[in-house]
Amino acid sequence: MSFVPKKQAFNSKINAVTLGTGDKATVLGGQNVLPFYSFDAAIENKPKIGVEITDAGMELCTTPGMQEFYAGCTSVADMAKRVESMPGASFVCIHLEGADPNGENKSVEECVELCKSVAAATELPIVVMGCKNVDKDAELFSKVSEALAGKNILVLSAREENYKTVGASAGLAYGQKVGAESAVDINLAKQLNTVMTQLGVNAGSIVMNAGSAAAGYGYEYVASTLDRIKAAALQQGDAQLQMPIITPVSPDTWGVKESIMPEAEMPEWGNQEERGVEMEITTAAASLACGSDAVIMRHPAAVAAVSKMIDALI
Amino acid sequence: MAVKGLDIFKLSPKTNCKECGSPTCMAFCMKVAQGAVSIDKCPHMSDEAKALLSEATAPPMKTITVGAGDNAHKLGGETVLFRHEKTLVSRNLFAVPLCTCMDDAAVDAALAEMAKVDYERIGEREYVEMVLVHDEKGDGARLAALAQKVVAMGRVAIIDCENADVAKVAVEAVKDSKPILNGANAANYEAMNAVATAAGVTLGVKGASIEELHDTFAALEKAGNKNLVIDVTGKDAKETLANAVMVRRAALKDGDRTFGYPSIVNLTKVAPGDIHLQTAYAALFTVKYGSIIVMDKVSYAESLPLHGLRQNIYTDPQKPMKVAPGIYPMNGATADSPCMLTVDFALTYFLVSGEIERSKVPVNLLITDASGMSVLTAWAAGKFSSSSVKKFFDEFDLANKINSRTLVIPGKVAVMKGEIQDKLPEWNVVVGTREAVEIVKFLKDGEHEKAAAAVAATKTTTAPKKEEVNADAPLDFAKIAASIPKIEVVDMGVTYKTRNVESKKFVTIGERIHCISPVIREAMNTMNPEPILKRAAEQIAAGATYLDVNIGPAESNGPELMTWAVKLLQENFNNVPLALDTANKKAIEAGIAVYNRTNGKPIVNSADAGSRISNIDLAAANDAIVIALCSADGIAKDNEERMTHCHHMLDRGMALGMEADDLWFDPLFLVVKGMQDKQMDVLNAIKMFSDEGLKSTGGLSNNSNGAPKAIRPIMDSALVAMCMMQGLTSAIVNPCDLRLMETIKSCDIFKNNELYSDSYLEA
Repeated sequence: MSFVPKKQAFNSKINAVTLGTGDKATVLGGQNVLPFYSFDAAIENKPKIGVEITDAGMELCTTPGMQEFYAGCTSVADMAKRVESMPGASFVCIHLEGADPNGENKSVEECVELCKSVAAATELPIVVMGCKNVDKDAELFSKVSEALAGKNILVLSAREENYKTVGASAGLAYGQKVGAESAVDINLAKQLNTVMTQLGVNAGSIVMNAGSAAAGYGYEYVASTLDRIKAAALQQGDAQLQMPIITPVSPDTWGVKESIMPEAEMPEWGNQEERGVEMEITTAAASLACGSDAVIMRHPAAVAAVSKMIDALI
Repeated sequence: MAVKGLDIFKLSPKTNCKECGSPTCMAFCMKVAQGAVSIDKCPHMSDEAKALLSEATAPPMKTITVGAGDNAHKLGGETVLFRHEKTLVSRNLFAVPLCTCMDDAAVDAALAEMAKVDYERIGEREYVEMVLVHDEKGDGARLAALAQKVVAMGRVAIIDCENADVAKVAVEAVKDSKPILNGANAANYEAMNAVATAAGVTLGVKGASIEELHDTFAALEKAGNKNLVIDVTGKDAKETLANAVMVRRAALKDGDRTFGYPSIVNLTKVAPGDIHLQTAYAALFTVKYGSIIVMDKVSYAESLPLHGLRQNIYTDPQKPMKVAPGIYPMNGATADSPCMLTVDFALTYFLVSGEIERSKVPVNLLITDASGMSVLTAWAAGKFSSSSVKKFFDEFDLANKINSRTLVIPGKVAVMKGEIQDKLPEWNVVVGTREAVEIVKFLKDGEHEKAAAAVAATKTTTAPKKEEVNADAPLDFAKIAASIPKIEVVDMGVTYKTRNVESKKFVTIGERIHCISPVIREAMNTMNPEPILKRAAEQIAAGATYLDVNIGPAESNGPELMTWAVKLLQENFNNVPLALDTANKKAIEAGIAVYNRTNGKPIVNSADAGSRISNIDLAAANDAIVIALCSADGIAKDNEERMTHCHHMLDRGMALGMEADDLWFDPLFLVVKGMQDKQMDVLNAIKMFSDEGLKSTGGLSNNSNGAPKAIRPIMDSALVAMCMMQGLTSAIVNPCDLRLMETIKSCDIFKNNELYSDSYLEA
């Protein structure tokens, strides 16, 4: 009896959500199969990679590879422009870490000006990542959404505590795309999507951040949450979980000891930058394999490897 | 995979001859499917049908062992496609390549490079387990020499060679080490099969297409070889992933056992020379169905993330990941650095150690054995107590290894401070932060040293040493009874109605007297009757059958506290029956000594099939009922395991002279938020207890933990109705939940446990 492969395409599919405008606009989601299962049905939109830059600008570039790539940049806007030349980059993620009231506490005005300068410098779609302080983020996202109206940006993210403010401003008032963030909890992910749509935010304007972790650091929770979301969205046809998933990889992977321990302190581990790159690649590839429709990364070498993988598989 | 009765029926003679003892063929087949009778009881079943049946009940994917002795590894044996469905069992292995085209210097350099990576990560050895030796020149002697080098280093060889004559030389040279011979294909499989079977080694099979692979597998199985692995490597990454997924899916989802074998993915062919791309693929195939992953090199840069990922993915979702207990010096800590204490739950460890690292303050992190539970859970379960801390300090010889005497304990268990201080009088015990994120500030501000100095200052050198309590000494009940405050009988306006202990009515055990509630904890600390009597009265008024009395770990005064609580409650409420709930066995014994049985035997809450199994002995010795949790360490992974635990505890109780009715089996109710897909397992377990005539109970309202307050009674009521249909005889619940109690009373009507009248709800 010869083998006849059984196809497993589903009747339900992931929402296709467009970020940005014009030629460089990019689409997340849209498929009706599990991640990379192009043998089950054609996958129209490849998973995407966004490149993270922060309001700290070149200070983030602590490794030779990063310094080389961004050489000559004198502003965050320069760096955003430079991202356009990175093979595999589909969008820019400006991470407003410095806005944290418990940190540098940069003003909302300063952050808005920065985002405007980034938008002026690049045609790439823009994702704005907040500082994790729910009150500050709500204010930031509202003002940035207003300043970049018409650019079709994505704000990361609305959370349980501030979804009303963020959903109403970014989603309803300014027509931007809204991230819905939950910490590796499928029930909370569904709940947040439900209340955001009840608020009036179009389901097609929502992108989920279902949580993240670096490989080796409780990653099993991330993997199973992503697996279960895709199963619910496709198999059970759960419309409240059919939003595409975006996973910020770099903030986690460049913070673990494997990536930050200097070679001088751990000679047997070898080159520090190489460790960070492989950690970023491993985590991004695993996230995509489990169900992320987009990953946010930092290092050009890691972006290159993961984008080669995406191109080869689809 | 379970085979359905109807599938067997299709193969049966359908003559209803009754020779098997069953009235019809259909009835017989249903029993066979349940495993109640053997198919051999039917004299007319064809051999073909029997063979088909045995095939159908075989596991969907074979477990293949490669390597020998200490270097043996299991591959395959998976039953699910995703880890959340149950668990993945055989973690993938990594291999690096050698080639006969390399000279000795290159070979030795590659092996030396490989051997550098060898370390421990959360109790697991991480290294490159296998080496693929590729035959390039048809040189059997050279291939054998390379394989021998690999074996000498304690690694398993994959002999990658498609020429049977050449392969034979190498296989014979190292066959005792159980290598894999990877090289059978559609053209050569007969010859390769002869080599592999003669040497008793696993045979790897390749194919130009998935269809061709399947045909070769079918042919090899027909020839009797079931010691196989599938090389799913295709012409590119896309085809390789398609093969890996389709092979695994066919075996596990579509019941095609011909493909029920582990896989080999050779990334050196898929992404030659590109180590970063190979790393990306290695992550992909770790998640999706690669059993052996071959890549050009695995240095620390690749190993740290990939082995970490593998360890995560292959963690049993129902067994917490544990860190080995011990002293972990951080930020260059020495014997003079202060100590911080926490539990062995891996996530706790990562959070706490991460924050300590960020603080840059040298600290000795002490990890104690708490069965992989988080701080509060472990404390409530008696796994993290002053005794366990004392034991840890003795075992690891802290007094001699560490000079500092500052000991920071987690803020969440501030209540343990006094007891730990008593047991470790030399140390200055300081309460740390409640959350890990606060650690950086705590340490940087030197809060720990300030507090430790304050503790030291309060100590007087002449403080009399507390009398050592001998835990094994028999209890002096008279002395205990004399030591407790006099019991006052207060009129709370509620009486407990004398109960018929033979009644079949559902038994509710009220859970509201629990020391995790701050009010009750305070009342227990001071032996203040009022809050306890108040909660008891509420629960009795609401119709509770039993009251649970949880006094916490109560290490220092358990017997006194339990004696007091039992007398307090029984003397005030007409001998209300009680469940005695604590990890302190002496406390339970003392409680039972003063317990009045008019309204029912005391309940020991609880025993399990693991470290708490001796609570069954305690119940047997005291003629008590025992709640028997069907788990050992961690939640049972399926009902087969639940029933194994159940029978194990039943055996033990019966051997000690207990009645089966006095063991109440608890399937362990699980949270819907998180374990939604396991709820039906729990319900089916209750049915299994019931079918065997056993009683059951459990903390039913755990199902709705974390759900909004307004929803919990609805979920609990629906679940209790389903459970009572399955045969649940008791539950530990909040009796003040009116909807739940009304549901239970109504179900008792339908079950004919209580005669109906219009006012049955008021009874």
